[in-house]
Amino acid sequence: MTNLLVWPVLLSLAAALGTLIAPSNAARIATVAAALSLWSVLLLLSAVIAEGPQWLILGGWPQGLGIALHADPLSALFLLMSAAVCLAATIFARRYVEHSRYRSQFWPLWLLLQTAIYALLLAADLFNIYVTLELLGLSAVTLSALGGSRAAVQAAVNYLILGLLGSLLFLAGIALIYGRYASLDLQLLARVVEPGPSLWVAMALMTAGLVLKSALFPLHFWLPAVHANAPAPVSAVLSALVVKVAFYLIMRLWLDLFNPAVMSTAADLFGVFGALAIVWGSWQAMFTARLKLLAAYSSIAQLGYLFLFLSLVLVMPEGEDRQLLLGALVLFALSHGFAKSALFLAAGTVQQYAGHDRIAELRGVAGQLPLTFFSLGLAGVALIGLPPSGSFLAKWQLLSTTLLAGQWYWVAVVVVGSLMACVYMFRVLSVAFGEEGVATQRIHSRREELPTLALAVTATLILGLGGVWVWRVLDVGAAGGLG
Amino acid sequence: MSSTPLLYGLCAVALFAIGLLGAFLHSGLLTRLLAVNVSGSGVLLLFVVLAYQGAGQRPDPVPHALVLTGLVVAVSATALALMLGRWLQRPEQEPEPETEQDQE
Amino acid sequence: MMDSWLFDVVDALLALTAVVLAAMSVLGSDQKRSIVLFIAFGLLLSLIWARLQAPDLALAEAAIGAGLTGALLLSALPYSTAEKGACRQQRAWADIAFNRALRGLAATLIAGVAIAMIWALDDGRLQSVPFTVSEQVFGHLPHSGVGNPVTAVLLNFRAYDTLLELAVLLCVALGILALGQPSVPVVAPGPVLVLLVGILVPLLVLMAGYLLWVGAHAPGGAFQGGAVLAAAGVLLLLSGHRDAWLPGPRLLAAALGAGLFLFIGAGAAMTLSGAVFLEYPEGWAGAIILLIEAMALLSIAVTLVLAYLGGPPAPSPSPPARHTDVEGH
Repeated sequence: MTNLLVWPVLLSLAAALGTLIAPSNAARIATVAAALSLWSVLLLLSAVIAEGPQWLILGGWPQGLGIALHADPLSALFLLMSAAVCLAATIFARRYVEHSRYRSQFWPLWLLLQTAIYALLLAADLFNIYVTLELLGLSAVTLSALGGSRAAVQAAVNYLILGLLGSLLFLAGIALIYGRYASLDLQLLARVVEPGPSLWVAMALMTAGLVLKSALFPLHFWLPAVHANAPAPVSAVLSALVVKVAFYLIMRLWLDLFNPAVMSTAADLFGVFGALAIVWGSWQAMFTARLKLLAAYSSIAQLGYLFLFLSLVLVMPEGEDRQLLLGALVLFALSHGFAKSALFLAAGTVQQYAGHDRIAELRGVAGQLPLTFFSLGLAGVALIGLPPSGSFLAKWQLLSTTLLAGQWYWVAVVVVGSLMACVYMFRVLSVAFGEEGVATQRIHSRREELPTLALAVTATLILGLGGVWVWRVLDVGAAGGLG
Repeated sequence: MSSTPLLYGLCAVALFAIGLLGAFLHSGLLTRLLAVNVSGSGVLLLFVVLAYQGAGQRPDPVPHALVLTGLVVAVSATALALMLGRWLQRPEQEPEPETEQDQE
Repeated sequence: MMDSWLFDVVDALLALTAVVLAAMSVLGSDQKRSIVLFIAFGLLLSLIWARLQAPDLALAEAAIGAGLTGALLLSALPYSTAEKGACRQQRAWADIAFNRALRGLAATLIAGVAIAMIWALDDGRLQSVPFTVSEQVFGHLPHSGVGNPVTAVLLNFRAYDTLLELAVLLCVALGILALGQPSVPVVAPGPVLVLLVGILVPLLVLMAGYLLWVGAHAPGGAFQGGAVLAAAGVLLLLSGHRDAWLPGPRLLAAALGAGLFLFIGAGAAMTLSGAVFLEYPEGWAGAIILLIEAMALLSIAVTLVLAYLGGPPAPSPSPPARHTDVEGH
């Protein structure tokens, strides 16, 4: 039992209050809080590596009565990615919202969003997950509406209604589980659940709700408008973390809670829709006119890979192979988190200095924003899955697993998806590095581009070279889990 | 065994389904919100039914607490949606002035 | 025997009426009628919850579910008529046959979901569950600091949920402050309304305080009290007090954050002496909970009034007068 588990949540929440009371120091408070959250997550990760999964039951009550928090290697790695992306996006946002009329509301909302992300990754109680999902959804909606354009607010309204429907489906599932097992605690439930109508229907409802929130094809339709019209740092966190947290919950529930009821047909559905998402999202990204929309469609495709990974992991028997593929899944998720946030921040910088993000009119812009486009290129390497990025290692593992199993159709999907990613990334780069330049505003300081660069370097170099570490950390908890 | 939980359980599921259907069929914000609220009421009623242990028995307080939380979340989400809807109805959005006025 | 038969009939009638009201409200085409039906549905639901031995919830549903949500929807009605034209245009664009097929599919799917849920509920409670949370709650109730089990769950056993819920409220309040514009029509209050407000507002404030106090051991608590206090604010708005007595930006921010602040402070204070977050010292729990609830009530009420107002409170109408004063000097 360690209070360390609650620190990332508490720090962000306390900082949200701080920015509410002292708006003139809001940016500083938010940066310090993001840095401290990252620090506490690192401490938590080292505790998990040293001692195994960590538990905390809030209020000191017995298990089942109080709400439990839980961290194992899987959640700790997702937390690490979230905290790092949040810190970089916070530093970027300081300049970005400096002159916004909404800045006195932006910062507390920004910190509430982080609170929700950390709280969801730590949650081990079904109803707590519901409340936190609502906090995540409502703060994300409000922040994306702060884009301030008609398109942004319209997208936010649609996002809100769909998010509410998703949460309702999830809550209905919780009711069925509570009706049969009279508990909300994930660990206790994992011990008693058994296949049967309650579990099947609850599983379907909860998964449907989360799939809507994680924008899996064909329930992705709300995503492009939201992610393309929100303020750039918000888009970065939405695309890199918010949809991924919903995916994380699906993974957590299917691996730990629904495990006894997993049927291969249900798992295959994830794979089929994942494959469709890869092709459809990449296709849209190839032809879209705007850079932020391209990034949004690319997210739909990349989420498709995650679902494809998950479907393969779910049907695999426990053992070393499954652990290898799970590691690849996590590595892919982390790489995408860093690369996609870098891409959105780069798009934000382009939009600020060129006044728009229409790809066709970005001729030669790279010459004026070299560091931003270098980061964009690095992020592209990770999104395509070229070496030395983390996603290259992950896709390699995916390909070897599927080839060994003779599932050539998945191989085809991965290869086609990667080629399409090449096309949409090089389309941007070839225009931006073109000869004749379009005049943009002069950049104020190179420092503004550093958070973007840091994210891109992490996705491509650090995760690529340190990928083995991810597998090793996950192995620590291989015996743990929720059971 | 009384038929009370059965009756209200069916009622809860019916409300949930009616709300979902309404949310899908309508395209206006107000009517969709109303439908989502009805659907939510159905889910909350389901929790209350689960808490009911029969006449003379004390009910399970946990679902009651969850429902109270759910109610407050629902009303705040509704308020947010209506505010955004009203924003969209404003005739002309004033261009964002880069003024420094703030309540600091 | 006779009694139970009678109860069954009443139950059947209540359940059926609720479904009919909901269906008429959701599937009807007249928005105003739909909202009125929705409010009636909410009141009926609150009756059902009282019948299912949930008096805490009956109170909350009447105040929040039917009352406040209904008032919110009604106040949005004038704005949603303009929206209709746009929708019709969209519909003309869409391929009608495809649309119809899609609707049929959705209806079938939803009916399937409903049947599946009934099938799942038919499962009943698993007999081999070692213990239920309900038993735990009653077992530990004496140590919770309050006698009302629902309050104990909300503010002690599952206080973390309530903490995050207050964060949800703060998030909505911030959104309204950032993007909203006050939308309450300004009406000149007649003498009757002024008199009514003069009586009702103090009464509602008293009632909110009473609900807070009594929530420790009987139905009531911060949420019900907050909703009642918000009703006082809404009354003030309707009677021409354009700011509903809400304070200026700084104090407003403090009021919005007060519940969370006290919650985090009280929860974290004990961690210094080695306790777990949100663990209250034995013997002090009752007092701490009351204090947290009082602040939470304030935050809830302010948020709900803001929600009804639809934007940051307008400055009181005195400044112009003062302005001419200054010029006069």
